[in-house]
This record gives sequence, C-alpha cells and structure tokens, in this order.
Amino acid sequence: MQRRNFIKNSSLTMAALMVKPNFPFTQDTILGQGNKRYKIDTKWSQADVAKYPVNDCHEMIQDKKGRILLLTNETHNNVLIYDKKGKILDSWGHEYPGAHGLTLFDENGTEVLFICDNKRHQVIKTTIDGRVLMVLDYPKETGQYTQAEEYIPTETAITPNGDIYVADGYGKDFIMHYDASGKLINYFGGRGTEEKHLLNAHGVCLDYRNGGEPVLIVTSRQQNAFKRYNLAGEFINTISLPGAWVCRPVIKGDYLYSAVLQSNSRLWQHSGFVTILDKNYKVVSNLAGSEPNYIDGKPDEMYQTIKCFSYPHDVCIDDEENLYIAQWNSDKVYPYKLIPVV
Amino acid sequence: MKKFLLTIPAFLFFYYCNAQQTFQLAPPMLKYHSVFFKTSEMVLMQFAQPATNIFFTLNGKEPTQNDSHYNKPIEIRKSFTTLKAKVFGDGFLPSETVTVTFIKDGLKIKSVEATQPNEKYPGNGPQTLFDNEGGMSNNQSKNFMGYQTDSVVINVSLEKKQKITAVLLDFLRDHGSWIFLPQSIRVYYFDDTKNEFQFLTGKEINPDSSQQSSATVFEKLNTDKKVVSDKIKIVLKPLSSIPAWHPGKEQHGWMFIDEIKIY
Repeated sequence: MQRRNFIKNSSLTMAALMVKPNFPFTQDTILGQGNKRYKIDTKWSQADVAKYPVNDCHEMIQDKKGRILLLTNETHNNVLIYDKKGKILDSWGHEYPGAHGLTLFDENGTEVLFICDNKRHQVIKTTIDGRVLMVLDYPKETGQYTQAEEYIPTETAITPNGDIYVADGYGKDFIMHYDASGKLINYFGGRGTEEKHLLNAHGVCLDYRNGGEPVLIVTSRQQNAFKRYNLAGEFINTISLPGAWVCRPVIKGDYLYSAVLQSNSRLWQHSGFVTILDKNYKVVSNLAGSEPNYIDGKPDEMYQTIKCFSYPHDVCIDDEENLYIAQWNSDKVYPYKLIPVV
Repeated sequence: MKKFLLTIPAFLFFYYCNAQQTFQLAPPMLKYHSVFFKTSEMVLMQFAQPATNIFFTLNGKEPTQNDSHYNKPIEIRKSFTTLKAKVFGDGFLPSETVTVTFIKDGLKIKSVEATQPNEKYPGNGPQTLFDNEGGMSNNQSKNFMGYQTDSVVINVSLEKKQKITAVLLDFLRDHGSWIFLPQSIRVYYFDDTKNEFQFLTGKEINPDSSQQSSATVFEKLNTDKKVVSDKIKIVLKPLSSIPAWHPGKEQHGWMFIDEIKIY
C-alpha cells in the first residue's frame, strides 16, 4: 500500500515541480476560507517599544472617531490609541495591572469604556480618555463570594439602557447583571453539570442580529462553546465549537468573530487561530485554522493549520472590515492587522 | 546589456522589500484510540488546509515529500512502530514532525497493585496501568495516575509463569506542569526457589532541560537474565528535587504513569 502511494505521490510531486516554480515570496499568505479571507500584516503597529511597551495585548475596540484602542496589562500605558494605519496617537492608564476586558458603550452620544481588571478584582467605567466614572467591586451581594480574590472579571456587555453584564470568567464563572447605576439585579451561570452552567466564562456580548430583544452570548471557553441566554439570564442553547478555545464573541454586521486562544488538540503550544461564524452560528471561516466542515449539522473538530498567531485573545473589526488581532502571552507582540481579500 | 544586468539586483531588491513573511504550517492532526494495542491500531490524519499534503514514514526517518503521502487511514500491526508525520505546502515552511510510537500488548497481566496515587490524579485505579489505553500527552486524562511521593511501588501479577525479557513503563513528561520522568526505576522478579524478590533491571534518569513540550515517553528496560516468574515488582522514585533550570527548583516533581507492559 505504501509503495503504491509512494509512486503515485512522487509522480505528483514531480509534475508539480515541473509546472510550478516555488517562489513563496511572490504570493501573500491568505488566511481563511470562502468570502472571509484576509491578508496579514504583522508589522501594522508603528509603536516604539521603548516609549509604548505592551505586555499581554488583551482586547481592542474602535471608537467613533475611527481610532483603535488597545488594552494591555502593561501599566506604563494600559491603553494605547492607534490610527488605522498603526500610528500611535495617544496613550493613558497606569493603574490597571490586570487590564483584561475592554468594552465600548455609547452613553447618550458620549463614548465610555468598561475595563475588567482581573488583578484588582474590579470593573472600572471610564471616559474614553481614562477618567474614572464608576468602580464595581466584587459582587458580595450575590452571597457567592466571601472575598474579592474569588472574583476575577474578564468581560462586560452593556445594554442600550446601560445595564451592565459582567462575566467572572477566571473566578466562579457567574454572569452578574447590574443596572446602569451599578446596582446588582441578577446573576446566573456559574459552574456545574447542567448545560446552562459555564466553565471559563471568558467573554460576553449582546447579539442584536435577529431583531427583537437582544440575546446574550457567553463564552464557555474550556467547553469549547458559546452559550446563549436571554437578558433575564435564562439559558437558551449551546453553540458547540469543538477544538476551539474561543475568547469573547465580537459581532459586526452579520458575523460573529472570535479569537481562539488555542486548539484543544495542541494545548499550551501556541496553537491559536481566529474563527468567524455567520448569523446562524455556523462557522464560515477559520483564519490560520482548519477549513470548517459540518457533519450532520455538527462542526468537525477545529485546529490551527498555519502558525501565524500564538495565543490570539481578541478580534476588533474596524469600519472598513479590517481585523486587528491582540495576543496574550505571545512575546509582547503588538497587534496584527488583517485586510480583507475581495 | 548593462541596463539588463542592473535590473537583476533592482528586481531582487524589489522582491526583498515586498517579501511576505513565510509562515510555518502547524503539525498534522493525528487521531487514534491509544498508542497501546492488542492486534492493530487505526491511525487517521487530518489537515484541513487546501494545497497542503501530509507525508509520513514508519521507519523512524524524518518524512520528506518523497515519502508516503497520506490519503487514507493507516493500520499499525507491528509493535514499536514509530509513525512520523509532517505537513508540506507551497508558500509555507513545512510543519514540525509529529512522532508517535505504537506499542503492542505484552504478556497477559492478571492484576496490578500500586501505591495510592495523589487524590487529584487517581486514573481509573490500578487497572489504568494495563488497560491498553494511553500514550496521549494530556495531563488531565484519566489514563494517568499522578504521584508526588518519594517512592511508588507497583506489583504486577502475570496470568502465568513466563520468561521475562523486558519491562516497559509509559510516563508523561510535561515540565511546564512540573511533571518529570522518575529519577530511578528498579525492577525485581519473584524468585520461587529463594522465595523472595531479586533485582532484574533498573535505570537512573536525569531530567532533560531541552524538553519543552508535553509528551509521553516510554522506558523499555531489557534484561538478559534468564528469568521465569509470574510476579514483578517495580519501584519508582519520582524526582525529589527539581533542578535549578526549572522555576520549581528544589521542589518535589510530579510523576505521571499510564501503562506497564511485560515482555
């Protein structure tokens, strides 16, 4: 059997060699499949490392001025503000040693930020230039926590009326629901054996794509899944993503984007990629990952195929559909930019 | 002509400036039940990236594009078959090589008694060590029994008295998770005539600082003594003091074991 393969194969290789000279540098690497394909620019950031160092690059957002904001746990400058070409415009923040989650909210025409700090065990609401507006401490009113250290918030999602959902993704995996003033209304999720429970609730977002009341999408990263809940915290269903350690869901237009920290098949070996799901939560493209394949409606196990990311942690989609990828524990690398291929 | 010659460096310079980064392919995805098998083991390989191919060898040599091209599951029947697989694709650096050795069952084991493992890593009890399951480098797997004690004693009873030629032990090495090979392995056999255990074979192991990634490692200890027995005693010493090159220096290392074979 092997001999036959060998012969078949070597003739194929020969044919390939004859017709196609191998000039890897003449072609851009294209990531992804279908109509979600991208070119990668690993040198997008023009930041001078001596002036604007980063540690883990955790999350990114674009504000209405078109600027790209990066949150890092480097207290020299917790927030770096870029233009879309990668030039540093501004920076701020020294007091967020565990800067992890960054969410933008348009509060009656004024943009504000919510930062989850997993070392301070707090959620901090600030103006776009870093002035603190509100601090949410650990939710002892739930009765689930006896001390701040048990609470390690990773992400927030804000409803149009200002209600705040906080994912305790490195703590006890509860999702806290506060009103706009910071008063706890409800909590749900947590660990357990039922489908409604979570394991590493790393991200949360609101999905408005299907009209009507928005739906909460929560990450259950170690379960390689997203889980959907209504705003009252009632479980709806699971979106299973075998093999993919998905970080937060980010919705832009009809698509849901998520950095995949690593592949389950190669744990802690820099095996991350980026996944893109359509409106029906079907994977349509894996950037630097395996071509999506569904068997009886279920996705095949997904994994990294091209080693261009180490541990991608967040995706930001700008107004021109470019992607920016922030990475955790990846040798202090600045974000990469991905440009759509049309 | 001169003009033409000048265009060559200009051309090269142009290409150099526009050179895109060449990325490496990730290793192929291998799927199999266990590296331990009774009669045969099927191995599936996957790599869902267009215009790439998996090449493999079964002779221990590094795969090249002249070796076997993977196109359907392969069946392993011979013990100690080492499969090496690698992905190649135009415009990419070839992947790292994935290496797996498949190990056939040995003499029939009746029962195993072992030192109680750490409560966090109990495996599935002593049968974990002869269930033909394992060889996967996932330290959360139920295939492993984990120890952080000074000494681990494993008593193996064979179904019948037989000639013993070798003992194989399969361990996890995952230095990032403080899991090391044991610093010493000592194997004894029960000598009926003397009515006591006698030394059969042994090995001392120094932790290897160059081993970064997590992998299962088998240690096969051969003996040329002509021994017939149905009882084997294995004494393992987990690493008592982690070396200075590791962040856990001077602390007690972990030892994870998932299978024993007697030949």
